[in-house]
Amino acid sequence: MIKNKRLGTEKSRDKGLGFGESRDERWLWMSGVVDDVEDPIPKIKRLPVADHHLSSPPKKPPSPHSPLSACLMGELAADKHVKYIISIEKKKDSFESVVMEHLRMSGAYWGLTTLDLLGKLEAVDKEEVISWLMQCQHESGGFAGNIGHDPHILYTLSAVQVLALFDKLDVLDIDKVSNYISGLQNEDGSFAGDIWGEVDTRFSYIAVCCLSILHRSDKIDVDKAVNYIVSCKNLDGGFGCTPGGESHAGQIFCCVGALAITGALHHVDKDLLGWWLCERQVKSGGLNGRPEKLPDVCYSWWVLSSLIMIDRVHWISKEKLVKYILDCQDLENGGISDRPDDAVDVFHTYFGVAGLSLLEYPGLKAIDPAYALPDDVVKRIFFGK
Amino acid sequence: MSENAYSDAKALDLLNELERILESNPLIDEVGFVHPSLFSTLKEAAGSSASSQDISEHENTNFWIRDHKLGISTQVLLPLYKAAKHAFMAALREYKTSENLPGNSVDDSLESEVMSHSKALLMLSCDFGTAWNSRKFIVLKKQLLPMFIDELLLSALILSYAPKSERAWSHRRWVIHTISGNSILQQIIEGESELVEKIAERSKMNYRAWNHRCWLVSYMTREQVLHQLEKSRNWASLHIADSSCFHYRRRLMLRIFEDFCHTQADHSSDYNFKIYNIWKDELDWNAALIKRYVGREALWLHRRFLSSYWIRHIATDLHVVSYQFDFGSFIDHELCLLDSCSTIPDDDFEDFQAQAIHSATYIVWLTKQIPEPQRIDIQEKLRARDLNRLLNTACPERSSLWDCLVGAEASSQV
Ligand SMILES: [Zn+2]
Repeated sequence: MIKNKRLGTEKSRDKGLGFGESRDERWLWMSGVVDDVEDPIPKIKRLPVADHHLSSPPKKPPSPHSPLSACLMGELAADKHVKYIISIEKKKDSFESVVMEHLRMSGAYWGLTTLDLLGKLEAVDKEEVISWLMQCQHESGGFAGNIGHDPHILYTLSAVQVLALFDKLDVLDIDKVSNYISGLQNEDGSFAGDIWGEVDTRFSYIAVCCLSILHRSDKIDVDKAVNYIVSCKNLDGGFGCTPGGESHAGQIFCCVGALAITGALHHVDKDLLGWWLCERQVKSGGLNGRPEKLPDVCYSWWVLSSLIMIDRVHWISKEKLVKYILDCQDLENGGISDRPDDAVDVFHTYFGVAGLSLLEYPGLKAIDPAYALPDDVVKRIFFGK
Repeated sequence: MSENAYSDAKALDLLNELERILESNPLIDEVGFVHPSLFSTLKEAAGSSASSQDISEHENTNFWIRDHKLGISTQVLLPLYKAAKHAFMAALREYKTSENLPGNSVDDSLESEVMSHSKALLMLSCDFGTAWNSRKFIVLKKQLLPMFIDELLLSALILSYAPKSERAWSHRRWVIHTISGNSILQQIIEGESELVEKIAERSKMNYRAWNHRCWLVSYMTREQVLHQLEKSRNWASLHIADSSCFHYRRRLMLRIFEDFCHTQADHSSDYNFKIYNIWKDELDWNAALIKRYVGREALWLHRRFLSSYWIRHIATDLHVVSYQFDFGSFIDHELCLLDSCSTIPDDDFEDFQAQAIHSATYIVWLTKQIPEPQRIDIQEKLRARDLNRLLNTACPERSSLWDCLVGAEASSQV
């Protein structure tokens, strides 16, 4: 027998000069970048070739063992996170931040939703955000990640969500936006991300969610959209990007979310999927997104929201997950990272706070697991004020 | 900050230099960002063996090039990115304006400007979607096969430094889909699988890479599918924690079975037997790996798939004349595996504990998957083993799941 815990796992890394080999970039996911696939934010802290030689931001310093930080342990450093989110906008002149500019719309959604969950949305200049946001709209009706970029369904949802947060959906030409989205539906019910035709169940979720927020679900063939999503179901109960694609917690969130919004959750084998999802919890209490992967704060959102939607959240240990998320905070400078002691980013800060909100952590607004917006915003959309 | 010290003119010089390097070295196949302190090390390492002309050509501290590898100094990334983005956006605006002029044909120099600036920009920001899109637009207009092939090369180059770049992977699919009517397709498909394998080697458990390979399956011929199944086996046994590779095998196996169901005409017993053997081999191989590599989740999840599909489809739908499926002995075999994997010796607690949990959950999974009449059978045999207790001791965190899954079974027996 070979007791080789590391064989082929994430922890094992090839040695050698190998250009590009040691880069641990993470790509947005709901927003065009997915961390590990799966996260959007490239972690420049480790560039190719010998990590330690680089000038990029180091790991956050170990917390000093002062009495102050000791008593902060185990609690959400809400004020620090607010400060961190607000500070991101001001640090625009580094390579790390400029290479993210193409997805600024999603960054805005993550940052602003975090602030709203923390009860501090008024800390930003609403008019300034909306004026920028409207300049990102393309003549086709879709939104781009930033001014002058091409539109994509990913950023269209982010824009609509940001406007919903501010209760400003009325600035939109609703028909124009919804025509853009419905125009991306294919004959088989799937959705393309933009005119270039890449198909993914993420885009199905976005279309369904966005049109529901805009009260225009009648513009698409919902039955076909549901059938396509169901065709991406695997024998393990999970869902992939396209039929036959591997199950992934992020894709599962999208598919379950879309089925929840369209009232089609009966297509999900809840025990089977719940089983796969709860097996994502690892010893540290954190959740991973696929078998054998390391835990990551962003899956606190994708796995947890899916478990809630299918009513199986009692199959994981909530206490351990809360502790894991809190352990990933940067108690000095604010922000939350994917794993304890990694560098923080806005993406994981949002998913950490959103995860804690789903776990009913005190002091946070409740968040809706399907729409990924605060409960009060969702109520306002569907039931008026 | 020193990076701000770069004037616009100096930044433009950098961009020109990068574009010149890219143009005069079309065979570059890897790119990386290198800290300035590494430049001298790289040069020394290469110094003795290189031809003098090779060295002098790019003798500076911004770029390093050798053996088709391009290094870009981390010190110039910011000014370079700004210059590239500015040049690209300006060229794109001009190009689009001239495109919209009625009766006017765009001159080639504008097109080549968009192409070279977008390439430089993507070297620095791999998911800059607008840059990828502008290339699609131009390539589609030209309809020249070599240009499509160049796009595959550029995407591969970007993936060499950003193996998870969603846009780079998606660009490949766009190219392949667009030229799928061309006879070169089958050759490309082979090359794609090799590329994924190469990238997966460096970038562990890369979902995007394997997803791309799964996507390719629908373009493969039956022979290619069988060949891929055989070829990926060795890779999988060297990377037994990479669940994505096992998923790829599942995808291939399902495609083989789909083909079988859709081509009723040639149901020769030969082909039946072949499929039957593929499944049987995979089950045996998987059991060997499970015993060899203790406590690996990916292996057990693969077994869940193999067994349940075996019971539900292969063993019943295939009519292999020489074979009579014996459900009882199949279950006995699986219980035997459970028994051999559920003892926890004292010396290496963690791996064996994981093995015990995986084996027990596997058996519970199996009982859930098999049809009613046979389920009684296996439950009968499991009663002596007290799975519930094993699961609750080995993995108390999931006790509510066990109660729901195993507890319900137990109580329904009463
Ligand atoms: Zn993450």
